Amino acid sequence: MPRPPRVPRAPALALLFLALSFTQAAAHCFVGARFLPATLAIDDPCVADELSLPTISWSKTGDVPPASEWDVSAELSKRITEDLGISIGDTWSQTRQPGSPKLSGFADLETTLQYQLLKDSPHELALLLGLIADWGGTGASNAGFGTPYSELTPTFYFGKGFGDLPDNAGWLRAFAVTGQVGYQFPTSSFNVVQGSYIPQVLVYGGSLQYSMPYLKSEIQDFQLPDFINHLIPIVEAQLSTPVANNFGNSPVTTGTINPGLIWVGSYFQVGLEAQVPVNHASGTGVGVLGQLHLYLDDMFPSTIGQPLIGGAGTPPRKLGF
Amino acid sequence: MRMLIAVVSLFLLASASAAEAHAFLDHASPLVGSTVPTAPHQVSLTFTQNLEAAFSTVEVTDANGVRVDQGKAQVSGNTMQIGLKALPPGSYKVQWHALSVDTHTTQGAFSFRVGAP
Repeated sequence: MPRPPRVPRAPALALLFLALSFTQAAAHCFVGARFLPATLAIDDPCVADELSLPTISWSKTGDVPPASEWDVSAELSKRITEDLGISIGDTWSQTRQPGSPKLSGFADLETTLQYQLLKDSPHELALLLGLIADWGGTGASNAGFGTPYSELTPTFYFGKGFGDLPDNAGWLRAFAVTGQVGYQFPTSSFNVVQGSYIPQVLVYGGSLQYSMPYLKSEIQDFQLPDFINHLIPIVEAQLSTPVANNFGNSPVTTGTINPGLIWVGSYFQVGLEAQVPVNHASGTGVGVLGQLHLYLDDMFPSTIGQPLIGGAGTPPRKLGF
Repeated sequence: MRMLIAVVSLFLLASASAAEAHAFLDHASPLVGSTVPTAPHQVSLTFTQNLEAAFSTVEVTDANGVRVDQGKAQVSGNTMQIGLKALPPGSYKVQWHALSVDTHTTQGAFSFRVGAP
């Protein structure tokens, strides 16, 4: 099978960052009074200038015997215009299975192009379209962390805060949900090396989150300790189900349910979640996922925190109700 | 990965500038969602960042949507205040928009009550 063209990482990254350095500053995921944090397992529904560095997870695979797996990843997201953004990321993994040699290497380079369809402030509603590309041949496919073929995943993202409920809904107004649904196409339908079909996969997930900052500033200030007022308890789910070209492969849905906490500051957030496999094929026991996430638009408002086009020099407008 | 981290780190260092951020409402007087026994003479909002006075606004309305504030807000540093007319017992809504000094915009609204708890 012809190998897909290899994307040279170094020149691509150098060009991207060269382009970024000529720009000026503004936003992560605000929709009206609602702030939707960057979620750890799925993506949030906004284009943004952000950096996840690092995201670290530990889990045990569903193999027999289970392999212990570490993943360390980084992702940079950058707005091109106010509504168009791109992100680039990669993951380094290491697995150790009893009786087998330790394996490590990079996954395929992943890029995502995103377009902000809607931000409806009164209803705290955000909609986003994205195209995720996993570039085949850029990872350690011989160690099982990359693939020789690429994968494309058109994805729809949404986020909804419940602050528009009537005032008598009280503390319930601090809830929000986010989600995403994507359809993953491989660029090849058959893996010659493994002698198996490569399925098309429905990739989906969601989050239910409760914003203590929103409770304090919009509903009722209980004068709780400052640390608690920065917390967003959250439950995320990330799932995938093979739906086509799946001959000879396991048809089972795999994924994890992740309860956890996100602490939100002015310039960064820190998240920690447990990873509970939904079945044995998804893993063994409970894993851990942690992330440090930087708000580049707040850290560098006059440089890389601005969209590449249409951000710098735009005079502030008079704000109205 | 190492290359990605190195490139990003270098770029962040090269781009470093005075950091400001979105202005979150840190606390308010009267407290968000509170019931106060006597009518306040003003609403005071304190934010997590300094504000641009010309582009930061607040208004207070009663249950019928009628404004009960005295007009223009006073902005100083990270604080925004607005005087109130004499408020009879009832429920009031405070709506604000803030522009932090680095041009990030935020907005919010909350209620408070005047009367017996």
